[in-house]
Amino acid sequence: MRFIKTKEKGLSENYLELHYDKLDDETKEYISRLDNTLSNIEGTLDDRRISLSVTDVMYFESVDRKTFAYTEKVCVEMRDTLKNLLDNYSEMGFIRISKSSIVNVYKIDHLQGDLNMRVIIFLKNGEKLIMNRGYKKDFFAELEKIRGKNKK
Amino acid sequence: MKLINRKNFISIVCISFTLVVCGKLILEGLMGFTDKNYTMNIFAILGFSIIITAVLALHFYLQKFPLIPVLIGQYLGVVGLTVAFVKITDFIADTETNAMIQMIASVTIPFIISAIVYYIAFFRQVNKANDILSEITSENK
Repeated sequence: MRFIKTKEKGLSENYLELHYDKLDDETKEYISRLDNTLSNIEGTLDDRRISLSVTDVMYFESVDRKTFAYTEKVCVEMRDTLKNLLDNYSEMGFIRISKSSIVNVYKIDHLQGDLNMRVIIFLKNGEKLIMNRGYKKDFFAELEKIRGKNKK
Repeated sequence: MKLINRKNFISIVCISFTLVVCGKLILEGLMGFTDKNYTMNIFAILGFSIIITAVLALHFYLQKFPLIPVLIGQYLGVVGLTVAFVKITDFIADTETNAMIQMIASVTIPFIISAIVYYIAFFRQVNKANDILSEITSENK
């Protein structure tokens, strides 16, 4: 499969176009990955319904039985539960780090351990999240899994 | 995940007991030392295997608490049980005058070594995770 990038001046929005004769396994795999990457979620911000790309979400957090999605700029209230979000988007790099938060691995800048063996997660926007010791093992296992998947 | 549960508790105690007894016998053989209180010490090792396995089994339930207070609490728990164990043994049989100090040292030294190993393993794991993260991020750029 070939990948051609073309620069076009004056486009109002970037777009991807796929040309195929038959959908082979390789192409299906690319489509499925793109579907995930381009999927949007809906939430409420100041009583307005807004849609945002899942890949823009830095982390999901549950506060007082409400679920919020945090992007670099906005915090959107979601209707879904953390469990559903994890079920739907774990393939896209979302990993549980505590009872109330799920982080997007691709938005992590680096990790730091503290003396209490909790892991401090530094996000790319400078925010810090704390990963409890109980979730550490699963987190590291998921990271290995993502690395393996990306190598394929 | 529970590493020590009701199903594997006894087998873990048995494995630890066997390993410590084998270590003791090898060390005694190498040093040419004859243990005068052989029977009592064997039972002491069994007692400690049970106590330490029980304390480690609590680890799962204590994960939501900060580690340092947990470690201190676990250490104090083990030392408390050790003191009680030596006091009870004192009633049943003759013990050496410095038995208490020896027993506390026997608990403290492995506890400190384990804590150091645990910390080193943890920070190495974090470093490895950082390497994986930078690898993942660079692949997605």
